[in-house]
Amino acid sequence: MVAALELSSQLGQASSDKAIVAEHLCKVFNVTKGVLRRTKNQVMAVKDVSFEIGYGELFGLVGPNGAGKTTTIKMLTTMLIPTSGTATVLGYDIQKDVTKIRERIGIVLGGERGLYTRVNAIDNMRYFADLYGVPVNIQKKRIRELLQFMGLWDRARDRVETYSKGMKQRLHLARGLVNDPQLIFMDEPTIGLDPEIAKETRTMIKELVEKGKTILLTTHYMFEADELCKRVAIIRNGEIVALDTPSGLKKYVMDTSVVEVEGFGITENEVARFKEVSEVLAVSADLSENKQVLKIQTPKGSEIISEVQEILKNSRIYDIKIKEPTLEDAYLRLVEGSAK
Amino acid sequence: MPKTLRVLYSAFRMAMLHWIADPQWVIPNVIAPFIYTFVALTLFKEARGPFGLYAVLGGGMMGMWGNTLYSSGFAIEFEKWQGTLEEVLAAPSNLLHVIAGKSISNALFGLTNMVAILLIASLVFRVPLGVANPILFAFSIILTLLSVSALGLIFASAFVLTRSAQVFTNGLETPIYIISGSMFPIALLPFWVHPVSYILGPTWGIEAIRIIAGQESVSLTFWLNIGVMLFITLAYVAIAAFLFKKVETKSRRDGTLVQA
Repeated sequence: MVAALELSSQLGQASSDKAIVAEHLCKVFNVTKGVLRRTKNQVMAVKDVSFEIGYGELFGLVGPNGAGKTTTIKMLTTMLIPTSGTATVLGYDIQKDVTKIRERIGIVLGGERGLYTRVNAIDNMRYFADLYGVPVNIQKKRIRELLQFMGLWDRARDRVETYSKGMKQRLHLARGLVNDPQLIFMDEPTIGLDPEIAKETRTMIKELVEKGKTILLTTHYMFEADELCKRVAIIRNGEIVALDTPSGLKKYVMDTSVVEVEGFGITENEVARFKEVSEVLAVSADLSENKQVLKIQTPKGSEIISEVQEILKNSRIYDIKIKEPTLEDAYLRLVEGSAK
Repeated sequence: MPKTLRVLYSAFRMAMLHWIADPQWVIPNVIAPFIYTFVALTLFKEARGPFGLYAVLGGGMMGMWGNTLYSSGFAIEFEKWQGTLEEVLAAPSNLLHVIAGKSISNALFGLTNMVAILLIASLVFRVPLGVANPILFAFSIILTLLSVSALGLIFASAFVLTRSAQVFTNGLETPIYIISGSMFPIALLPFWVHPVSYILGPTWGIEAIRIIAGQESVSLTFWLNIGVMLFITLAYVAIAAFLFKKVETKSRRDGTLVQA
């Protein structure tokens, strides 16, 4: 970290002992298809979602694509109106106190977009400082502090289009802090970053929590949630299927072992066959690389190795290991294997 | 500086920075006006009366209106392309103020369009452009630009809902240019078009510009045109504020903005 960051919030807050209280949030989207024969369908993106987040907590919301993570965040950041249910953010109602909430929260989205790439970092920061009503006498010092904190000050006057992915992500983080928010929503902040920059970003996120910020983080990466979050909610098909500490979630899979198979030539059909085996609780496969990895959760452990070899008899097996389950395995079990 | 003015200024500044960073504006603001002027002067070459002025001002208005309409509508699309729309919407500022700041910036670039037309007509085509009262002439042009900009703001609200709004605004460019009497007097248009002409701010603005270009002393008719244009412009701003509020609420309820 290049410099210490000194932020002190200028805005007051409503009286509440929780940073976020969501109660039975639902969001239904109307989807219209066709041109001549228009058909209308309703898609329930979020179903009866309830949770609370305390001040100073780093809370993780994890789930597969389309699970409802972003829709939930958009409702809490007042960008979407819930179909039903209520929520307060920093003690303010998400439907009635839109401006008060927006003034007090920060939003950090992942990816390379979301920045004015034709202008420099200072102009990006200054623009958003004005949109957030940051007084001019505070802006200059804060922008400098934030860009120094993110290690961008030396390049602050260069156009953003000349920045690397990591620099852009750090600018996203700096921009999300320009109004000195009490609560920060981070939607997949490390997506698409190389491991070193993702690690650097996680370090910054930890430092923000140490400085007293409350963070709601969505991520695809379970090790990230395990490393950062005090509590994690797993969302699937718009519903929260589990909410606990990372160690609490791992207990869901304490009764199982993970049989990890490294091989080549493994097909989707073979993966599907594992799902039909009664002792298999969940299966995940990464078949894209030369060295394919198959993870099978089962209470039987090494007892199913012969069955694994039988199913994969037409593929090449390099190695088979029996492992203790991780948070990722708990996630897979809850998201993909709960039907069993 | 009050918060609203600060947002207007900041949005204006950001749009100007992008205009400067992206020199493609040269095409709509210099090359296109040259073509407009050439076509207009060729059409009115044999005509008598103040048609040289009509041609030049008409060409200028055409470029200015096209530029402002396109740019104001494009303000939302631009944010979508940059991926910044969500960040802008999530901020506590009123979206109308952000887009208005950008529209004023576009209007200022529209002014370069008008200036380019006047210079091209005068220097290249040797059209006599003796303006009797240059200060009020410039004043009328700036107010007309603001009126055009406010009209563009109404159309910009449609872009909050759907990107198909581009088709809508593209289709309106020429009709409004003709109905506002930019190229020839509205007296030449069918009478049933007149009510539409009268609710367009630029109709009164272009008339005021013509009056002040041709006479040194300021007449009541000039101020009447300016007054009506200001009234209509304020009405446009009020309508735009109402529409922005409506479409923002609708987009937050339906999720159309974030899906678009």
